[in-house]
Amino acid sequence: MKILIVDDFSTMRRIIKNLLRDLGFNNTSEADDGQTALPMLKTGKFDFLVTDWNMPGMDGLSLLRAVRADANLSKMPVLMVTAEAKREQIVVAAEAGVNGYVVKPFTAITLKEKIDKIFERLQA
Amino acid sequence: MSESTSGTPEDGGYLTDMYVSRLRALTEVLESGDEAQIHELVAELTTLRESALYQELGKLTREIHDSINAFGNDERIAELATEAIPDAKERLNFIVTKTDEAAHRTMEQAEATMKLVDNFSARGRDMHERWARLRNRELSKEEFVELNNDIDGFLTSIDAETSQINSRMTDIMLAQDYQDITGQMIKQVVTMVKEIEEKLVRLVTISGTWSPEVELKEKVVNGEIAEGPQLPTADKEKVATSQGDVDDILASLGF
Repeated sequence: MKILIVDDFSTMRRIIKNLLRDLGFNNTSEADDGQTALPMLKTGKFDFLVTDWNMPGMDGLSLLRAVRADANLSKMPVLMVTAEAKREQIVVAAEAGVNGYVVKPFTAITLKEKIDKIFERLQA
Repeated sequence: MSESTSGTPEDGGYLTDMYVSRLRALTEVLESGDEAQIHELVAELTTLRESALYQELGKLTREIHDSINAFGNDERIAELATEAIPDAKERLNFIVTKTDEAAHRTMEQAEATMKLVDNFSARGRDMHERWARLRNRELSKEEFVELNNDIDGFLTSIDAETSQINSRMTDIMLAQDYQDITGQMIKQVVTMVKEIEEKLVRLVTISGTWSPEVELKEKVVNGEIAEGPQLPTADKEKVATSQGDVDDILASLGF
Protein backbone atom coordinates (compact mmCIF):
# COMPACT_ATOMS: atom_id res chain seq x y z
CA MET A 1 0.00 0.00 0.00
CA LYS A 2 1.63 3.24 -1.19
CA ILE A 3 0.39 6.40 0.50
CA LEU A 4 0.95 10.08 -0.32
CA ILE A 5 0.81 12.54 2.61
CA VAL A 6 0.14 16.16 1.61
CA ASP A 7 0.47 18.95 4.17
CA ASP A 8 2.34 22.26 4.12
CA PHE A 9 3.63 21.78 7.67
CA SER A 10 6.51 19.33 7.88
CA THR A 11 5.68 18.56 11.54
CA MET A 12 2.18 17.41 10.60
CA ARG A 13 3.53 15.28 7.73
CA ARG A 14 5.96 13.69 10.17
CA ILE A 15 3.22 12.96 12.71
CA ILE A 16 0.95 11.38 10.09
CA LYS A 17 3.87 9.41 8.66
CA ASN A 18 4.71 8.04 12.12
CA LEU A 19 1.10 7.15 12.87
CA LEU A 20 0.75 5.42 9.52
CA ARG A 21 3.91 3.45 10.19
CA ASP A 22 2.48 2.36 13.53
CA LEU A 23 -0.57 1.13 11.63
CA GLY A 24 1.70 -0.93 9.40
CA PHE A 25 1.88 1.40 6.39
CA ASN A 26 5.59 1.82 5.72
CA ASN A 27 5.49 2.98 2.11
CA THR A 28 4.71 6.70 2.35
CA SER A 29 5.79 9.77 0.40
CA GLU A 30 5.28 13.45 1.19
CA ALA A 31 4.30 16.62 -0.68
CA ASP A 32 3.80 20.13 0.68
CA ASP A 33 0.84 21.20 -1.47
CA GLY A 34 -1.50 20.12 -4.27
CA GLN A 35 0.74 21.43 -7.03
CA THR A 36 3.59 19.17 -5.91
CA ALA A 37 1.25 16.29 -5.09
CA LEU A 38 -0.68 16.04 -8.36
CA PRO A 39 2.25 15.13 -10.64
CA MET A 40 3.44 12.64 -8.00
CA LEU A 41 0.00 11.04 -7.94
CA LYS A 42 -0.10 10.86 -11.74
CA THR A 43 3.18 8.99 -12.03
CA GLY A 44 3.75 7.42 -8.61
CA LYS A 45 1.19 4.58 -8.53
CA PHE A 46 -0.20 5.61 -5.15
CA ASP A 47 -3.05 3.68 -3.55
CA PHE A 48 -4.20 6.21 -1.02
CA LEU A 49 -4.08 10.00 -0.51
CA VAL A 50 -4.05 11.76 2.87
CA THR A 51 -4.31 15.52 2.43
CA ASP A 52 -4.65 18.74 4.38
CA TRP A 53 -7.03 21.39 3.04
CA ASN A 54 -5.45 24.79 3.76
CA MET A 55 -2.20 24.95 1.81
CA PRO A 56 -0.49 27.58 -0.33
CA GLY A 57 -0.41 26.97 -4.07
CA MET A 58 -3.06 24.31 -4.67
CA ASP A 59 -5.23 23.58 -1.64
CA GLY A 60 -6.58 20.19 -0.63
CA LEU A 61 -10.10 20.72 -1.97
CA SER A 62 -8.72 21.60 -5.43
CA LEU A 63 -6.42 18.59 -5.23
CA LEU A 64 -9.37 16.34 -4.35
CA ARG A 65 -11.35 17.72 -7.31
CA ALA A 66 -8.36 17.30 -9.64
CA VAL A 67 -8.02 13.68 -8.51
CA ARG A 68 -11.72 12.98 -9.06
CA ALA A 69 -11.54 14.62 -12.50
CA ASP A 70 -8.56 12.51 -13.63
CA ALA A 71 -9.64 9.27 -15.29
CA ASN A 72 -6.68 7.33 -13.88
CA LEU A 73 -6.96 8.68 -10.35
CA SER A 74 -10.69 9.19 -9.92
CA LYS A 75 -11.18 6.01 -7.88
CA MET A 76 -8.37 6.76 -5.41
CA PRO A 77 -9.52 6.88 -1.78
CA VAL A 78 -8.86 10.30 -0.24
CA LEU A 79 -8.74 11.09 3.48
CA MET A 80 -8.80 14.74 4.43
CA VAL A 81 -6.98 15.64 7.64
CA THR A 82 -7.64 19.31 8.26
CA ALA A 83 -8.36 22.09 10.73
CA GLU A 84 -11.25 23.27 8.53
CA ALA A 85 -14.26 22.55 10.70
CA LYS A 86 -17.15 24.63 9.34
CA ARG A 87 -20.27 22.69 8.55
CA GLU A 88 -20.37 24.14 5.01
CA GLN A 89 -16.79 23.08 4.41
CA ILE A 90 -17.42 19.51 5.49
CA VAL A 91 -20.45 19.40 3.19
CA VAL A 92 -18.41 20.79 0.27
CA ALA A 93 -15.66 18.23 0.83
CA ALA A 94 -18.21 15.42 0.98
CA GLU A 95 -19.81 16.62 -2.25
CA ALA A 96 -16.37 16.79 -3.88
CA GLY A 97 -16.04 13.07 -3.13
CA VAL A 98 -13.85 12.80 -0.05
CA ASN A 99 -13.79 9.31 1.51
CA GLY A 100 -13.06 10.38 5.07
CA TYR A 101 -12.70 13.61 7.03
CA VAL A 102 -10.55 13.93 10.13
CA VAL A 103 -10.51 17.24 11.93
CA LYS A 104 -7.34 18.50 13.62
CA PRO A 105 -6.29 18.04 16.35
CA PHE A 106 -6.84 14.30 16.04
CA THR A 107 -5.76 11.14 17.84
CA ALA A 108 -4.02 8.03 16.55
CA ILE A 109 -7.22 6.09 17.21
CA THR A 110 -9.35 8.45 15.10
CA LEU A 111 -6.91 8.21 12.19
CA LYS A 112 -6.93 4.41 12.41
CA GLU A 113 -10.73 4.25 12.62
CA LYS A 114 -11.20 6.42 9.54
CA ILE A 115 -8.61 4.56 7.49
CA ASP A 116 -10.09 1.20 8.50
CA LYS A 117 -13.55 2.44 7.59
CA ILE A 118 -12.42 3.66 4.17
CA PHE A 119 -10.89 0.29 3.27
CA GLU A 120 -13.81 -1.61 4.74
CA ARG A 121 -16.16 0.29 2.46
CA LEU A 122 -13.91 -0.11 -0.56
CA GLN A 123 -13.81 -3.88 -0.09
CA ALA A 124 -17.56 -4.14 0.50
CA MET B 1 -28.63 74.20 17.40
CA SER B 2 -28.47 76.70 20.23
CA GLU B 3 -30.89 76.62 23.12
CA SER B 4 -31.28 80.38 23.49
CA THR B 5 -33.53 82.36 21.15
CA SER B 6 -31.67 85.68 21.23
CA GLY B 7 -27.98 85.11 21.11
CA THR B 8 -24.82 86.32 19.49
CA PRO B 9 -24.28 86.24 15.75
CA GLU B 10 -22.26 83.08 16.44
CA ASP B 11 -25.19 80.87 17.29
CA GLY B 12 -28.53 79.76 15.94
CA GLY B 13 -30.62 81.91 18.30
CA TYR B 14 -29.50 85.03 16.55
CA LEU B 15 -30.37 83.43 13.21
CA THR B 16 -33.82 82.42 14.39
CA ASP B 17 -34.53 86.02 15.43
CA MET B 18 -33.35 87.26 12.06
CA TYR B 19 -35.62 84.74 10.27
CA VAL B 20 -38.61 85.76 12.39
CA SER B 21 -38.15 89.47 11.71
CA ARG B 22 -37.65 88.95 7.94
CA LEU B 23 -40.66 86.63 7.69
CA ARG B 24 -42.85 89.11 9.57
CA ALA B 25 -41.72 91.88 7.23
CA LEU B 26 -42.32 89.59 4.25
CA THR B 27 -45.96 88.88 5.23
CA GLU B 28 -46.58 92.58 5.56
CA VAL B 29 -44.94 93.41 2.26
CA LEU B 30 -46.75 90.56 0.50
CA GLU B 31 -50.07 92.13 1.44
CA SER B 32 -48.90 95.53 0.23
CA GLY B 33 -47.73 93.94 -3.05
CA ASP B 34 -44.44 95.86 -3.23
CA GLU B 35 -42.52 93.56 -5.53
CA ALA B 36 -39.14 95.23 -5.14
CA GLN B 37 -39.34 94.84 -1.38
CA ILE B 38 -40.57 91.23 -1.69
CA HIS B 39 -37.54 90.37 -3.82
CA GLU B 40 -35.24 92.11 -1.37
CA LEU B 41 -36.65 90.20 1.62
CA VAL B 42 -36.58 86.84 -0.17
CA ALA B 43 -32.94 87.54 -1.14
CA GLU B 44 -32.16 88.38 2.48
CA LEU B 45 -33.81 85.13 3.64
CA THR B 46 -31.77 83.14 1.12
CA THR B 47 -28.56 84.77 2.35
CA LEU B 48 -29.57 84.01 5.94
CA ARG B 49 -30.15 80.37 5.07
CA GLU B 50 -26.79 80.11 3.34
CA SER B 51 -24.94 81.72 6.20
CA ALA B 52 -26.54 79.23 8.63
CA LEU B 53 -25.37 76.41 6.43
CA TYR B 54 -21.86 77.83 6.22
CA GLN B 55 -21.73 78.25 9.97
CA GLU B 56 -22.64 74.60 10.50
CA LEU B 57 -20.21 73.51 7.84
CA GLY B 58 -17.49 75.64 9.42
CA LYS B 59 -18.13 74.12 12.81
CA LEU B 60 -18.01 70.60 11.41
CA THR B 61 -14.82 71.30 9.47
CA ARG B 62 -13.17 72.66 12.59
CA GLU B 63 -14.21 69.63 14.62
CA ILE B 64 -12.92 67.20 12.01
CA HIS B 65 -9.75 69.21 11.64
CA ASP B 66 -9.16 69.18 15.40
CA SER B 67 -9.84 65.47 15.66
CA ILE B 68 -7.56 64.62 12.77
CA ASN B 69 -4.87 66.88 14.19
CA ALA B 70 -5.15 65.24 17.59
CA PHE B 71 -4.96 61.86 15.92
CA GLY B 72 -2.00 62.83 13.75
CA ASN B 73 -0.15 64.34 16.69
CA ASP B 74 -0.53 61.10 18.62
CA GLU B 75 3.10 59.98 18.49
CA ARG B 76 2.16 56.53 19.66
CA ILE B 77 0.46 55.84 16.33
CA ALA B 78 3.62 56.57 14.38
CA GLU B 79 5.47 54.39 16.81
CA LEU B 80 2.97 51.58 16.37
CA ALA B 81 3.23 51.73 12.60
CA THR B 82 7.00 52.00 12.33
CA GLU B 83 8.13 49.95 15.30
CA ALA B 84 5.48 47.93 17.11
CA ILE B 85 3.90 46.26 14.06
CA PRO B 86 7.20 45.23 12.41
CA ASP B 87 8.31 44.05 15.84
CA ALA B 88 5.15 41.98 16.26
CA LYS B 89 5.63 40.42 12.82
CA GLU B 90 9.15 39.44 13.81
CA ARG B 91 7.90 37.96 17.07
CA LEU B 92 5.18 35.95 15.34
CA ASN B 93 7.67 34.60 12.80
CA PHE B 94 10.00 33.72 15.64
CA ILE B 95 7.14 31.81 17.30
CA VAL B 96 6.52 29.82 14.12
CA THR B 97 10.20 28.93 13.89
CA LYS B 98 10.52 28.13 17.58
CA THR B 99 7.44 25.87 17.70
CA ASP B 100 8.52 24.16 14.48
CA GLU B 101 11.96 23.46 15.95
CA ALA B 102 10.50 22.18 19.20
CA ALA B 103 8.07 19.88 17.38
CA HIS B 104 10.83 18.40 15.21
CA ARG B 105 13.22 18.02 18.16
CA THR B 106 10.51 16.22 20.14
CA MET B 107 9.60 13.93 17.26
CA GLU B 108 13.22 13.14 16.53
CA GLN B 109 13.75 11.98 20.11
CA ALA B 110 10.44 10.11 20.18
CA GLU B 111 11.25 8.34 16.91
CA ALA B 112 14.73 7.37 18.16
CA THR B 113 13.27 6.12 21.45
CA MET B 114 10.65 4.05 19.67
CA LYS B 115 13.36 2.46 17.55
CA LEU B 116 15.37 1.63 20.72
CA VAL B 117 12.33 0.18 22.47
CA ASP B 118 11.35 -1.87 19.40
CA ASN B 119 14.86 -3.27 19.17
CA PHE B 120 14.91 -3.96 22.88
CA SER B 121 11.64 -5.82 22.90
CA ALA B 122 12.55 -7.81 19.76
CA ARG B 123 15.78 -8.99 21.38
CA GLY B 124 13.95 -9.81 24.61
CA ARG B 125 11.29 -11.80 22.76
CA ASP B 126 13.88 -13.77 20.82
CA MET B 127 15.83 -14.68 23.98
CA HIS B 128 12.63 -15.54 25.80
CA GLU B 129 11.77 -18.07 23.07
CA ARG B 130 15.20 -19.64 23.20
CA TRP B 131 15.03 -19.61 27.01
CA ALA B 132 11.79 -21.59 26.84
CA ARG B 133 13.43 -24.08 24.50
CA LEU B 134 16.36 -24.38 26.93
CA ARG B 135 13.96 -25.23 29.75
CA ASN B 136 12.42 -27.89 27.52
CA ARG B 137 15.92 -29.20 26.91
CA GLU B 138 15.61 -28.49 23.19
CA LEU B 139 18.81 -26.47 22.79
CA SER B 140 22.06 -27.89 21.44
CA LYS B 141 25.29 -27.10 23.23
CA GLU B 142 26.23 -24.52 20.59
CA GLU B 143 22.81 -22.88 20.83
CA PHE B 144 23.13 -22.77 24.60
CA VAL B 145 26.51 -21.03 24.40
CA GLU B 146 25.05 -18.55 21.92
CA LEU B 147 22.05 -17.86 24.18
CA ASN B 148 24.36 -17.47 27.13
CA ASN B 149 26.39 -14.83 25.25
CA ASP B 150 23.28 -13.05 24.03
CA ILE B 151 21.76 -12.84 27.52
CA ASP B 152 25.05 -11.53 28.86
CA GLY B 153 25.19 -8.88 26.13
CA PHE B 154 21.54 -7.99 26.69
CA LEU B 155 21.95 -7.52 30.44
CA THR B 156 25.10 -5.47 29.89
CA SER B 157 23.37 -3.23 27.35
CA ILE B 158 20.32 -2.56 29.57
CA ASP B 159 22.07 0.16 31.53
CA ALA B 160 23.42 2.03 28.48
CA GLU B 161 20.16 1.74 26.55
CA THR B 162 17.85 2.78 29.37
CA SER B 163 20.08 5.74 30.17
CA GLN B 164 19.89 6.67 26.48
CA ILE B 165 16.09 6.47 26.65
CA ASN B 166 16.20 8.56 29.80
CA SER B 167 18.31 11.28 28.21
CA ARG B 168 16.06 11.37 25.13
CA MET B 169 13.00 11.76 27.38
CA THR B 170 14.74 14.58 29.26
CA ASP B 171 15.44 16.28 25.94
CA ILE B 172 11.76 15.95 24.99
CA MET B 173 10.87 17.68 28.25
CA LEU B 174 13.41 20.43 27.66
CA ALA B 175 12.10 20.96 24.14
CA GLN B 176 8.83 22.12 25.71
CA ASP B 177 10.52 25.30 26.95
CA TYR B 178 9.27 26.97 23.77
CA GLN B 179 5.91 27.35 25.53
CA ASP B 180 7.38 29.77 28.07
CA ILE B 181 9.13 32.00 25.52
CA THR B 182 6.46 31.93 22.85
CA GLY B 183 3.73 32.38 25.46
CA GLN B 184 5.35 35.59 26.66
CA MET B 185 5.82 36.82 23.11
CA ILE B 186 2.22 36.08 22.18
CA LYS B 187 1.08 38.08 25.20
CA GLN B 188 3.18 41.04 24.06
CA VAL B 189 1.62 40.87 20.61
CA VAL B 190 -1.88 40.60 22.10
CA THR B 191 -1.26 43.78 24.14
CA MET B 192 -0.15 45.61 21.02
CA VAL B 193 -3.10 44.40 18.97
CA LYS B 194 -5.41 45.64 21.73
CA GLU B 195 -3.83 49.08 21.58
CA ILE B 196 -4.17 49.22 17.80
CA GLU B 197 -7.77 48.14 18.15
CA GLU B 198 -8.50 51.10 20.45
CA LYS B 199 -6.80 53.54 18.07
CA LEU B 200 -8.65 52.14 15.08
CA VAL B 201 -12.01 52.39 16.82
CA ARG B 202 -11.20 56.06 17.54
CA LEU B 203 -10.22 56.69 13.94
CA VAL B 204 -13.35 55.04 12.61
CA THR B 205 -15.47 57.02 15.06
CA ILE B 206 -13.89 60.29 13.88
CA SER B 207 -14.62 59.45 10.26
CA GLY B 208 -18.19 58.77 11.37
CA THR B 209 -18.69 55.71 9.21
CA TRP B 210 -19.26 53.34 12.08
CA SER B 211 -20.68 53.33 15.53
CA PRO B 212 -20.71 50.38 17.92
CA GLU B 213 -24.45 49.98 17.24
CA VAL B 214 -23.94 49.31 13.56
CA GLU B 215 -23.86 45.60 12.96
CA LEU B 216 -21.25 44.50 10.51
CA LYS B 217 -22.51 42.45 7.64
CA GLU B 218 -22.01 38.76 8.18
CA LYS B 219 -19.32 37.23 6.01
CA VAL B 220 -20.55 35.17 3.14
CA VAL B 221 -19.78 31.53 3.79
CA ASN B 222 -19.87 28.99 1.02
CA GLY B 223 -17.51 26.38 2.39
CA GLU B 224 -15.24 26.55 -0.65
CA ILE B 225 -12.45 28.51 0.93
CA ALA B 226 -10.03 27.25 3.54
CA GLU B 227 -10.16 29.44 6.60
CA GLY B 228 -7.85 27.66 8.99
CA PRO B 229 -8.64 26.56 12.52
CA GLN B 230 -11.72 27.86 14.32
CA LEU B 231 -11.69 28.96 17.94
CA PRO B 232 -13.06 26.47 20.46
CA THR B 233 -15.63 29.15 21.30
CA ALA B 234 -17.01 29.14 17.73
CA ASP B 235 -20.76 28.85 17.08
CA LYS B 236 -21.57 25.17 17.50
CA GLU B 237 -24.37 25.38 14.94
CA LYS B 238 -21.90 26.29 12.22
CA VAL B 239 -18.67 24.68 13.33
CA ALA B 240 -17.78 21.10 14.19
CA THR B 241 -15.96 21.24 17.51
CA SER B 242 -15.02 17.58 17.63
CA GLN B 243 -14.53 14.57 15.39
CA GLY B 244 -17.92 13.39 16.68
CA ASP B 245 -19.56 16.50 15.17
CA VAL B 246 -17.80 15.87 11.85
CA ASP B 247 -18.98 12.25 11.84
CA ASP B 248 -22.55 13.41 12.57
CA ILE B 249 -22.50 15.90 9.70
CA LEU B 250 -21.15 13.25 7.33
CA ALA B 251 -23.68 10.71 8.59
CA SER B 252 -26.48 13.21 7.89
CA LEU B 253 -25.20 13.31 4.29
CA GLY B 254 -25.45 9.54 4.03
CA PHE B 255 -21.78 8.73 4.66
